[in-house]
Amino acid sequence: MSTYSNVLKLGSELGIDPVGSIIASAKSVFRLEADVQNEIKLQLIKDNFTFHYENNALYKKVCMEKQVSPEDIQSTCDLVKIPTIAIAKFKDVNAHLLLTKPITELQHELRSTGTSGIPSISRRDEQTLTRSVHSIYAMFREMFGFFGGGAIFLAPSAEDMPEMGLVKLVNMFSGLLDSSRFFVHDSSFDPQSVLDQLEKWKHVHTRHIIGPPFLVERLVQYAAGQQTPIKLDRQSKIITLGGWKSFTGREIDRLEFNRETAAVFGIQEDQVRDMFGLVETNFMAIDCEEHAKHVPPWVHFSVRDMDHPEREAAPGEPGRLAVYDPSSLAYPGFIMTEDLVYVSECGCGRHGQTVHYMYRIKGAEIGCCAINLEKYMSDKEARVTQCPIG
Amino acid sequence: MYNAIISEHFMSPRNIGELEMPDERIKIGNPICGDTIHVGIELKEDLIFDIKYKAYGCAASIATASIFSEYVKGKTLQQIRDTPLADKETMLGELEPNQMHCYEILLELFHSMCLVKAV
Repeated sequence: MSTYSNVLKLGSELGIDPVGSIIASAKSVFRLEADVQNEIKLQLIKDNFTFHYENNALYKKVCMEKQVSPEDIQSTCDLVKIPTIAIAKFKDVNAHLLLTKPITELQHELRSTGTSGIPSISRRDEQTLTRSVHSIYAMFREMFGFFGGGAIFLAPSAEDMPEMGLVKLVNMFSGLLDSSRFFVHDSSFDPQSVLDQLEKWKHVHTRHIIGPPFLVERLVQYAAGQQTPIKLDRQSKIITLGGWKSFTGREIDRLEFNRETAAVFGIQEDQVRDMFGLVETNFMAIDCEEHAKHVPPWVHFSVRDMDHPEREAAPGEPGRLAVYDPSSLAYPGFIMTEDLVYVSECGCGRHGQTVHYMYRIKGAEIGCCAINLEKYMSDKEARVTQCPIG
Repeated sequence: MYNAIISEHFMSPRNIGELEMPDERIKIGNPICGDTIHVGIELKEDLIFDIKYKAYGCAASIATASIFSEYVKGKTLQQIRDTPLADKETMLGELEPNQMHCYEILLELFHSMCLVKAV
């Protein structure tokens, strides 16, 4: 057993959460060499797999049918053997069967809804929730660095859209800020009020803007047409989440978006960052200064061959994403997504996987919180602008 | 987070499924939070002979569908219409603030059932 495995095992015996301790050490773990990170990931994922194998009867049955048990996981090459849960199962009427933890231990439900309207619900117990909170804040601190400032949230508040993953995540930023405001109300968005707020915060707070790309794009287009430009601050961040594809199928060009956003707001392109995550997991992969989306070093992205999903694609080649998140105890956080990605590395000083998102696989529902929000706003705008007949 | 009634009905939901040839269909949907319930009913004159549903959403909304289906199955439409409000108010047990929308869902289910006509 490696040094790190020994330390994690000993810590666990002493009552120290091994996953929590790695999350709390995100900065230093990111700077470990990739093979060392893999040792840590292997131990965490194997332990988590063992937990679900021993405590989730349905999952164990699936494992036995596939003839895999914890003893078969000896190296990172073996992680591909761990059975995954199809992400669509979180929408199933019998989704309660996914649970490893009993309902009496659940503390929270989070949802994501695509354009089909059927929500995907993920349920979490106390420890998973705590790990999730720490994981997200660890990545925010590592990748964005701020602990202050004022943020424009281009999203509805929780009163408007309760239990929505995107809203929950945006809300979490406020814990790192001095001030924040939501600017999507009743599915409407007024870009002038955003510019007014940014002006009020000038010389008061470092100003940030956070929201889905389609709303940031609208704001940028509006701001570009104004006579008096708004120049944001040296440490400002413009942070997007929710994907680059509209419910109409239109795709926002990422490079052009970065260029235009930076130009309109008078900042550097490396201040424009994107995030990728799934409501069903407990992490965010976040852009560094080089615009490489870093996967947290305790999470493993397994890119699967499109024709043979039980095998991984060749290194660097695109394939279907399977996520292995060892922080989840409420249900096995080993998720087969409907996303096509490829992974690579980055030269920014952080080691490990970076993910390049391509698109949803054919036949998958086009959807997530942001797309659903966009569709809802678009439907509302259509009702407002249609002339009555008669 | 979940009271005993909700817990029991979420972990062991009654009447989940789909009727092949329902006499009536009810669809309840909340576009904001996405809770959706599709109900199929089989009637024998004015009696709810069978009921099946598919519910998508939070645990409390799934339990609500189960509780409602268990209550109405085997009752006549008139008995359902005559259900006192006080009974409806206690059917789901004590709810957390963020679960109160499920009481609205329950009322909507009752309201929709009251519009159903005997065969």
